[in-house]
This record gives sequence, structure tokens and C-alpha cells, in this order.
Amino acid sequence: MKTFICGLIFAAMICTGCLPGPTSTGGSKTITVYAFSIMKESLERDIYPAFKEKWRQQHGEEVNFTSSFAGSETITNQILQGAPADIAILSIEMDVDRLIQAGQVPADWWVTAERGIVNRTPFVILVRQGNPLGITDFADLAKPGVKLIHPDPVSSGGAQWSILSIYGSELKKSEAATGAKDEAKALDTLKGVWKNVISTPGSAREARTQFETGYGDALITYELEGLLMKQAGAPVEIVVPKSTIFSEHPGVVVERNISAEEREVVYAFRNFLWSDEAQKAFVKNNFRSSVNESFDAANAGFVKIEMPFTVHYFGGWKKAYPDVIDAIFRKQVKGQ
Amino acid sequence: MSANLSNLRHTHGFDLVKPLSVAALVLMMLPLILLPLASIFIFGMSAGLDKFWDSLTAPDAIFALKLSIVTSFWATVFNIVFGLFAAYVLARYQFWGRNAIIVLISIPTAIPTAVAGFALLLLWGPYGLLGQYLSDEYRIMFTPYAIILANIFVTFPLAFGVIMPVLETMDRSLEEASATIGASRWQTFWHVTLPALRGAIVGGALLTFARSVGEFGSTILVSGNLSGRTQTAPLYIFAKFNEGQVEAANAIAVVLAVFSFIIFSILFFARDWLETE
Repeated sequence: MKTFICGLIFAAMICTGCLPGPTSTGGSKTITVYAFSIMKESLERDIYPAFKEKWRQQHGEEVNFTSSFAGSETITNQILQGAPADIAILSIEMDVDRLIQAGQVPADWWVTAERGIVNRTPFVILVRQGNPLGITDFADLAKPGVKLIHPDPVSSGGAQWSILSIYGSELKKSEAATGAKDEAKALDTLKGVWKNVISTPGSAREARTQFETGYGDALITYELEGLLMKQAGAPVEIVVPKSTIFSEHPGVVVERNISAEEREVVYAFRNFLWSDEAQKAFVKNNFRSSVNESFDAANAGFVKIEMPFTVHYFGGWKKAYPDVIDAIFRKQVKGQ
Repeated sequence: MSANLSNLRHTHGFDLVKPLSVAALVLMMLPLILLPLASIFIFGMSAGLDKFWDSLTAPDAIFALKLSIVTSFWATVFNIVFGLFAAYVLARYQFWGRNAIIVLISIPTAIPTAVAGFALLLLWGPYGLLGQYLSDEYRIMFTPYAIILANIFVTFPLAFGVIMPVLETMDRSLEEASATIGASRWQTFWHVTLPALRGAIVGGALLTFARSVGEFGSTILVSGNLSGRTQTAPLYIFAKFNEGQVEAANAIAVVLAVFSFIIFSILFFARDWLETE
């Protein structure tokens, strides 16, 4: 019994020594970033180190970063519940609106260079090597027997972009052919595609991991994900739809969580995201620049899209969300 | 009929049923438990030992393991003390509402761990029932303390469940003898009751600890999942898997698998030793 108690006290002593807390950073500053899933590589490989270096040169001070990556809706919910984010980089502007409504982000967040948009990337289809099912456009994904992986619109911003992309591409093509938007055809395509979805992972990155492990015939995702997979040597091909959407990703400061002394460095970091240096780093990491399209020429992997469009084709997120995601996808497609 | 039965009993010669049933048992375990575990080891090592070691010694990985162990330790300490106290009160006294308390203690077993997580958020979060009155320095959610709270909630019934039956079926003559020779209640508890519960306490502690180390559903909701600050080992595995870094995820998974193997081996061998000492 005594040895048992001694052991317990001993273990308690060891563990008290390392009761976890934020590791002390000794005079340096820490920026906490919550970002949607596919931001990971560009931030960790290039953007963080570049900003650290810049801040050190200008202020002689160390900056550290700590980050969490998940689906855009998931991190928004975490921040709404009080997660300590200083900066949030989200996939869709609707999530920024939710943060504004909760008083966490100032309503004028978009009054910046490029309306608060950090970077962009078009939506493409990934298929297995050799494209065995002969998929050339979104409509082919509605063919019977195609097994599609599609992130979950409940937790993932990428999933909502994908839905806008499928629906909008049919409108765009019919408009170009006949002069009128064929909403019935767009709805049919979306319904057909959704019937073939066999799995809805929580984020674009989770969807990619599932596809990489051999599950499914096709995946609708950010161009960036396709390029990363090809660079890693995965046996996949990128199919470029004739018409597809460019997703645009907002970066915001979570005002509620930053203290007066953090303010300068947090805003400096956010503004750094629009610097030429950061924008070129995004291009290197397969995002397209939101500031200067000529930077995009540096990445030879970028696909060419015949009829691109953005969320403004629907009148911005404030209309696209209720009109397409809610009224068409939630009410007519998901509940079919 | 009776002739058939005596044939089945195999009173003489080699009993064929024994090796067959053992083989059947192993075969059943193979696809359900053994092969999935084996694939963790195979994939964990597939990139070579160097890569395995690198993934294991990455600063965030080490932090995640350490955080898991420390938070689980404190949850275990709390739940052992609580479980012992609850088992003692409920085994020694009969009172109105006793069964209700037993049921309440057991509830976390059946509650999805994600529910445990957001229940804590709804209580202690910045907009929660109590959390809204806490100032920023005392905020619990999204800190390691939140992970301890979540672990306590999820493993609440385990230690109690192991200690309670032992206490209930214990031979009370020694306690009575101790009382007769003038020992106080506290002395009786300390010198008679507690030593008899040694095996149950160690068993309950190991179970609680093992379950806490593996906890995921509640932790991901309350911790904030910040690598190097509030990311436990299971969250690290999930994050790495989602990032497509399956080797890194596997390295930590191997550690956790070996860890639970050790825990349950101790549980198995230590029980006899503790109870006979």
C-alpha cells in the first residue's frame, strides 16, 4: 500500500511539473490563426516564415504562429463558441457574416485592398488516372454508376463553392448558347450529381484524403488540391469543366480576441497577406493571386478555364446563399 | 439422447473442440481487431524507421503525447478520488434516491462524447450558462483545463464501476473487528477498507487513464485543436490524417496502440499480484 501511495505521489510530482499551458514565449508575440483546410501548406511553408523574417527586421522581435485547420464552417463555429483565433481565413464570406453578427469581426472588414479576399482558386474535377469513366464536365458526374466524393456543405465551405459551381456552370453555358439561363437544367444536373455522392467528409482536405486512399471515382475540389496531389505523384487527373467558379477566400481579424498590444502585429500580418511577397507565395503554393493576375503566370500547373465566373454571377454571397445553397440545394436537392 | 450427450462430453482421448474453438476465436478476432491494428503498424513502418522516428519526434507530436498524458493523469486522479468516495457512500448507506444517483453516475457511458463536449461548451464557453460571467483570465474552454474537464466527464463512471462491486461484496467482518477494537471510522477506512480495494483502485485508474488518453469526440470540441497548445494525441492523429500525412498519423497511432497494450497487460498481471500481496 505504501509503495502504491509513494508511486502515486511521485507521479503527481512529475505531472505537476508539466501541467500544460501555453508554452511561454518569453517576450515574443504569438498570432493564432484559424484557417480553412487547404490553407495549411501555403501558410506554414512560406507565409509564416516570410512574415516572421520581415517582423524581425522591422521590429527586432520574434513572432510565433499557432494554427488550427478544419472546414470553414467548423472553424467559424469554434470561433463563435470562443476559440481564441486572432485571424480567421475562411472559405466563404457567409462565415464572415456569421462572425460579424456575433460581434467578433467589424462589419467593415472588407474595406481593404481586394475587398478582404486573400486568394482564389477555381473548382475542378479530379478523376482516376486515364479517366476510365470518360468524365469531361459536371454533367458527366450525374451518369449512373459514378461514385462521387463531395465534402459536406454543413461543415465545409468548399462544398458550397462546389454546389455553386455545378449549378452556375449550367446557367452560364445555357446563357451563352441561348441567351437565357436554363434553371431547370441546372437543377437537374445538381440533383443527378448529388445522387451519385457516396461520402460527404467534413472538409475539402478530408475529402481529398479519402479520394487518395482509393475511395470513389471522382472528387470535386479546389484546383489547388488537384495540383498538390499531382505534385505528390498521385495517380489522378484534373478534368477542367467548361465553365466553373473561382472561389474567393476572405481573411479577417477577430477583433474580439485581440488585445491592444497584439493589434499592431495582427493587422500587420493581415495586411502582409496582400503584399506582393505573400501573393507570390500563394501562387507558388497553387493558389491564384487575388491582387495581381500577372503573378499567376509563375505557376505552370494552372489550368485554363473557358467560361469562368465568380459568386458575383449570382449577385454575391448575400444572394447566392439563400437563393442557391438554401432554396435550391437544401430544399430541392438534398430533400429529393 | 443421453448416449449422445455422453459422446459430446469427450471424457476420453483428444478433445478436438478445444483447438478448433481457439482457432475460431482467433479467426473471429482477425478481421475485427488484429488486422486493423496490424495495418497501423505496417503503414507506420512502411516509410522506414527513420521516417517513423522523425514523425514521432516532431515537436508538435511530442507535445500532443505529453498533453494527452498529463490531462489524462489529472482526470484519473480526480475520478479515482471521486469514484472511491461515491462507491463508499453508495455501498455503505441505504437512502432515498440512491439508485437515481447510481444511474446518474453511469450516464456518461451512453452519452456520445461529442455531446459531452458541447455540453461543456454550453456551460463554460464564453457565451455559456456560467462561462459568460467569467473574465478572460479565468476562461476554461479552449485551454488544457477544458481537456481535463472533458476527460473527467467521459470517464466518470469507469473507476466507480470497478470499485463499487468490490466494495459491495467485500467481507465486512474485518471492518467490524476494527471498529470493535476502537479504531475510528477514518482509521478503519485507511487501514482496512482501502488496502482491500487496492486491486480495484489500480484497475479503475488504468481503465480511466487508458480511456482518457484515447478520448477524441469531446476533446475536439472543447480544446480548440491548436497544434502545440491544445492538440492532444488523438486530435494530432486526426489532423495529420486529414492533411494526408498518413505516416505521421500512423506513428502516433502506433505509440497509442503499444501504450494501451502495456496498460492492459499491467491490468491483467497486476490484478493477481495486488490482490494476493
